[in-house]
Amino acid sequence: MDKISEWMDGELTERETRRQIERLKQDAELHHCWATFHLIGDVIRGEPALSRDFERRLAERLKGEPTVLAPRAPAARRFATYALSAAASLSAVAVVGWMVFVNDTLAPKPEVAQSTVTSPPAAPPADLQLANVPSDGTMNDYIIAHQEFSPSSEIQGLAPYIRSVSGARPIRDR
Amino acid sequence: MRLRHGCDLNPGTRPASGGRGGARVKAAWPIIFLGCALPALAAELDGLGWLSKMATASRGLNYSGTFVYQHGDRIETSRIVHFVNAAGGEFEKLETLDGPMREVIRTNDQVSCYLPDVKTVIVEKRSARRFPALIPEQLSGVSDNYTVIVAGMDRVAGFDCRVVVLEPRDQLRYGHQFCAESGSGLPLRARTLGEKHQQLESFAFTEVKLGGRFSRDQVKSRYADKSKSWKIDHSALVLSDVPADTGWTLTRQPPGFKKLTEMKRSIAGRAGMVSHIVYSDGLAAISVFIEPLPKTRPVNSLTHQGAVNIYVRPVSDHMVTVLGETPAATVMQVANAMELRTGRGR
Repeated sequence: MDKISEWMDGELTERETRRQIERLKQDAELHHCWATFHLIGDVIRGEPALSRDFERRLAERLKGEPTVLAPRAPAARRFATYALSAAASLSAVAVVGWMVFVNDTLAPKPEVAQSTVTSPPAAPPADLQLANVPSDGTMNDYIIAHQEFSPSSEIQGLAPYIRSVSGARPIRDR
Repeated sequence: MRLRHGCDLNPGTRPASGGRGGARVKAAWPIIFLGCALPALAAELDGLGWLSKMATASRGLNYSGTFVYQHGDRIETSRIVHFVNAAGGEFEKLETLDGPMREVIRTNDQVSCYLPDVKTVIVEKRSARRFPALIPEQLSGVSDNYTVIVAGMDRVAGFDCRVVVLEPRDQLRYGHQFCAESGSGLPLRARTLGEKHQQLESFAFTEVKLGGRFSRDQVKSRYADKSKSWKIDHSALVLSDVPADTGWTLTRQPPGFKKLTEMKRSIAGRAGMVSHIVYSDGLAAISVFIEPLPKTRPVNSLTHQGAVNIYVRPVSDHMVTVLGETPAATVMQVANAMELRTGRGR
């Protein structure tokens, strides 16, 4: 296979890696491929995707940052600076690391008073702000009725029916 | 890898990279076109082809295996057996391996859910014939609403499989990622992804056997005899083949969704008839159920089961229940746009 995928798999020597970085800097198309491959990788691993143009906007903001010659900030700050300079070399891995780091430590955290339940995205802001809680099984009859009409049943066979019989016992009021 | 068509990584063969001179750009144009546009189109068709192949395989192949259903922080394991006889009859059995014992049996167009702990069988029969595979109309719906990407190979349950990614074109639907066994096309893994690409739900085989002979016994319920004394909810049978006008209409249809069918039917555990209208974008479906208000007036509620969001909302003296494997906002948007046409000369 080509060098890029070997590089992504960490199979290149340091010298070869340097050469690839140089190639990437000079070749926009190659750079685009690099980004696409990482996007595919992220999607496959189910990782959150960065917003469109993230890289360009980050690079612009980095240009505006003063160069820190003698870092004397606390540990967190030092790490951020290091991560920023690594990101400048356009290593997507470092960018993601920086993102996570910054999100976790530096950015002000919005206080979300939510139940511990993991739920799909909540209601639209315009509508009633209802908490989206897991179904207690009372909806199973509707899910069964729905399932037969869903194209997902045609692609996956019976498997999606597990939703309608899974988990909570059916509570049937009649 | 499909995508590499548009991204030739070998500098030696790449035509006029960067194309700095005007003449070079002109000369390279047809090559760029062939090198980018055609593969993009071909990739799209290839992706749709894989979807078709998955549907055909999961309906037409004999297979058995163990799969894991993951949603939120829960994992449930089930066993599945699918069997097609010489006459084209389709039989399938799903049984849960942990938690309360459950069985789902398909016999052609009839699906029966056996719930031994409450000694109940729910029978769901679809009178209209199921299609043997995805029909072209559905596939065009899929490509209108999702970007289909064939991306690389992976391995699931010991088999090499082809990754097919469906990126939603807007916020009204979820993303999907399938991994189809490279030979037969059987989907070995299916994931539903939220708007931040977070996994909402996943089905994945951990062990699967493709092909082979089956006996009818393997797809029969172990409760086939016992359940004769159980409560059988035949009430879930659809009463009429003919789609009926329920009198309800969706005033603002979410873009990309089309009405599949509309009928009056009964639902297990509900006394009266229920109006059921189904909308689909080719891959995801949204069901609207409308029935008279129960004795205790329901309040608006939003729940989910895996990637399925369910919104209940009273509308005058009716209860409207909308559910589908779409974001909650889409389900709520549909529920809020349902209106009863008043009886003026229909």
